[in-house]
Amino acid sequence: MTKNTLGGKGRIVGGALLILLFLSPLFLPRFYIYLVSIILLTGLLATSLNLPLGYGGIFQFHHAVFYGVGAYGAALMITKSGLSPWFGFVVGPLTAAFLSLIMGLICIRLSKLYFGMLQISLGSLVWIIAYRWYSFTGGDNGLHGIPVPNAISSPNGAYYFTLLVTLLSLWTLHKIIDSPFGSALQGIRDNPVRSAMIGINVKLHQLVVLVIAGFFAGVAGSLFIVVDTAVFPDMLFWTLSLEVLIMCLLGGWFTFLGPMLGAAIIISMRTFVSGFTDYWTLPLGILMMLVIFFLPNGILGYIEEKLHRNLIEQTIKES
Amino acid sequence: MKKVIYLFVFMVGFLGLSLFSSSSYGANTIKIGIVDTYSGPPATMSQDVLDGFKMVVNEINAKGGILGKKIEFVTRDEKFKPDVGLAMAKELVLKENVDLLMGTISSSTALAVSDFARKEKIPFLVTNSRTEKITGEKGHRYVFGIAENTAMAGRAAAHALSKKPFMKYWIAGDDYEYGHSIAENVWNNLKALKPGVQLLEQTWWKVGESDFTPYITQIMSAKPDFLIAATGGATMVTFAKAAKATGLISRIPMYQHTVIDYGVLGPLGADGPEGVYGTAPYLFYYPDAPANKAYVEEFRKAYGRYPQMFALFGYSAGRLIERGFQKAGAVDKEKFINALEGMVIDSPVGKLEMRACDHQLQLPMIFGVVKKSPQFKDFLVAGDIVMVPSKDFMPKCEEVLKTRKE
Amino acid sequence: MDLIYAIFSPTLMSQIFVGLSRTVILFIVASGLSLILGVLRIPNIWHGSLYMVGAFMTFTISGAFGGGSVGFWIALILAPLGVALVSLIAERSFFQHLYEREHLMLLLLTFAFSLVFGDLVKMVWGMQYKSVPVPQIFQGSVHLFGGLPFPLYNVFLLAIGPIVAVALWLIVNKTKIGKISRAAAVDREMVGAVGINVSWVFAFVFMIGCLLAGLGGALVAPTVNVSLGMDHTLIMEAFLIVIIGGLGNIWGALLGALIFGLAQSLGILIWPQFGIVFPYAAVIIVLLLRPTGLLKSTW
Repeated sequence: MTKNTLGGKGRIVGGALLILLFLSPLFLPRFYIYLVSIILLTGLLATSLNLPLGYGGIFQFHHAVFYGVGAYGAALMITKSGLSPWFGFVVGPLTAAFLSLIMGLICIRLSKLYFGMLQISLGSLVWIIAYRWYSFTGGDNGLHGIPVPNAISSPNGAYYFTLLVTLLSLWTLHKIIDSPFGSALQGIRDNPVRSAMIGINVKLHQLVVLVIAGFFAGVAGSLFIVVDTAVFPDMLFWTLSLEVLIMCLLGGWFTFLGPMLGAAIIISMRTFVSGFTDYWTLPLGILMMLVIFFLPNGILGYIEEKLHRNLIEQTIKES
Repeated sequence: MKKVIYLFVFMVGFLGLSLFSSSSYGANTIKIGIVDTYSGPPATMSQDVLDGFKMVVNEINAKGGILGKKIEFVTRDEKFKPDVGLAMAKELVLKENVDLLMGTISSSTALAVSDFARKEKIPFLVTNSRTEKITGEKGHRYVFGIAENTAMAGRAAAHALSKKPFMKYWIAGDDYEYGHSIAENVWNNLKALKPGVQLLEQTWWKVGESDFTPYITQIMSAKPDFLIAATGGATMVTFAKAAKATGLISRIPMYQHTVIDYGVLGPLGADGPEGVYGTAPYLFYYPDAPANKAYVEEFRKAYGRYPQMFALFGYSAGRLIERGFQKAGAVDKEKFINALEGMVIDSPVGKLEMRACDHQLQLPMIFGVVKKSPQFKDFLVAGDIVMVPSKDFMPKCEEVLKTRKE
Repeated sequence: MDLIYAIFSPTLMSQIFVGLSRTVILFIVASGLSLILGVLRIPNIWHGSLYMVGAFMTFTISGAFGGGSVGFWIALILAPLGVALVSLIAERSFFQHLYEREHLMLLLLTFAFSLVFGDLVKMVWGMQYKSVPVPQIFQGSVHLFGGLPFPLYNVFLLAIGPIVAVALWLIVNKTKIGKISRAAAVDREMVGAVGINVSWVFAFVFMIGCLLAGLGGALVAPTVNVSLGMDHTLIMEAFLIVIIGGLGNIWGALLGALIFGLAQSLGILIWPQFGIVFPYAAVIIVLLLRPTGLLKSTW
């Protein structure tokens, strides 16, 4: 059962948050605008992962491939073809979705851990290609100084573009999850056998989810280009996939906004803990352990659970 | 719902925390931001740069600083991830308000940060990345190259190799930009100086390869006269062991850039690759002159070890900063850049000039052979040393500037 | 006739043998991983860190005993035991409380451990490269196949590999505790119901698995640069080998390692530039043909 994330008071606070986000370039220093842009697009990436992972129960272990391919697709389109850069932002996500389709068709016959490992193997091949093909992809250096359209090249321009695209994407993803398709997906996650028995084409649903997830990961990748004007082969590497998984876990992978929160936490930690010490992976590891032991549904998941329980207790008291 | 409130409070809390983590340096310091990789295999090299730099900074601050202001520096560990490195550079410039950026061993990050430095109009001293693109193709007013780049090293090596009798060559190395760049530079220059040389074949292995035996046997079965091994710093120790174990070093003469660096020969100890040719911009035991000796002694006292070649880069960066701001007369970025162009600094290896046309520091190059040392029992050293002055191998200004236009 | 000479050319034979010795390290590390994944159902990413710690401990211990051959042999015994001890502490303190959880949680917990240990190793041992010398009797190489050298240390590894494999097989199949572990992998409750302390059985298996990681690190130390970042180099390959071999299956790990190692060294002969692609391609082919692995897995 999906939870309605905005209801009553929630709408007011949510609205206030949105207004704050839209007005922030007026009062936040430049660095924080940049930081929020990165958090937004990484949060979008994590949310797109959560579609197959949390809602679909699929072991999507190498989601970063689609992020990287989306970014490379857009970057190469902008720098190599003579066409307007705006085409790049369409080509990127489409390439990612297409790759997702191909990889999905190959991997879908497996399940659970095997699915994940096969995806990692295939994804590694993609990484090798990007890493070695100097003349085309810039090899291990990646591409720098990508000419982004003037309207969105300034820090504020990039920020607003990222904000708008992210909000639009989140809204779309939320609609998908709330739709009958989304319910079927969660049914498949919870009980694939029963879902099949009532006539749901399990594999088809999963394939569609993968393509959608790949598409939005590609969107996140294209946004990265807008914000940082560069692509790196690192964006395709399995360690990034693992990081994004952690973001979903930290925030709460049975909630919609959990991954976004997870992204915010990890990126903030990385930025600010570095100010104190060079050993920033240690506190991250410890935080992960704490969450795994005490908050297995993630931070947002825990909060939601608590609120849900309070609501029930309140209802019982009133009756 | 309330959870959105929680989310909001949480995020604000985090942002608020950052205000406390922001350093509260007054206007009375010159602030340097350093982005580098202090984890994983490259860490030892970055640490060497930092140690060399810190020594100079301490000395400057003890004398009262530059223009009455002390030098502060902050470091950030990018863990060899360019997107993290770029984000950290942005943080240093936009939040910590550093006056100058320094870094990094990762070419990918260096290029990305260089692009950012150009847009932000802040000077960026590249202390360890070796790609020639930094001051070459992607060079600009705001970036300065301190470490020797692959074009310089390649030329110096070709210079020395062209005098040797070898004709049939094999090229092998780490399959990334640095490896290819070094190999290309050595080979193209060698061919220009000695047209008769022949390239039999090339072998490239993944970065971080740990088992070279299959590649080595392939090379040995082809019996070339000479092997150019384009390996990165971290790979060298492993490669040296494999080369020794398979007997490669006793069969086929080899060249590797930076193999004679103490950072490679030190850890290997008696296992070092005797007989291998190498180049490096700095050796702590050469020249055996008072300036160098004093420097090494000071370094040892401070850090308990001998300096590797990277310490010289940190040292040079420190000196350039000192003299640059002194000459500029103010903590002004544009004046600093103008002051740096053509500046000559003192160093343990003599005078070094920051070339004005492309912003590349002109380091001499040492060419030597790995040998046992009568003086040092624990590790091997470079022998038969030839010091090639920079004017003999620096690419010409016109050549470099031409690549920028393309 | 010429074809036979071509097939058994010195270079090819040399490459095959070299591939085999590379396989040994992969096998030892992967077998440990396979045990842990097969019996305890933990995808142990921490395995890579333990491999690295094994190598670093070998450096320290062999250095403490003079840094020569004697030091190495002592380290070869003590380092894996040290790693096993660390893993036991971790298992008793943390992992044992989470066995009922989903795989993903356990995987992320092991990842958290690997993050922490990555920094711990840096704190304890520093950043400089470390080198462990090859013991005296194994220095140099022997000349097989048309005069091409084969390092003696690799010969040693080729001998060690089967010994470890047989020893493991004996432990898992012939000892009482081995049989109990296999039973517990399939049905934990049943085993507990007949009065066996399943918890300590799991601890034992986890320890053995981690000891193997440490052993792999100790064995590889004389041939590589002992440096930070070693934990990342092997872990992905080890996982892929375990998957294609069959979870919890020792011979599967051996088979998987053979395929992986040979694919790599032969790939280098065929296509030097992209030799790295061959092992991954092999993994993909195996997973498509036999999704649950080549040999029987425990679950």
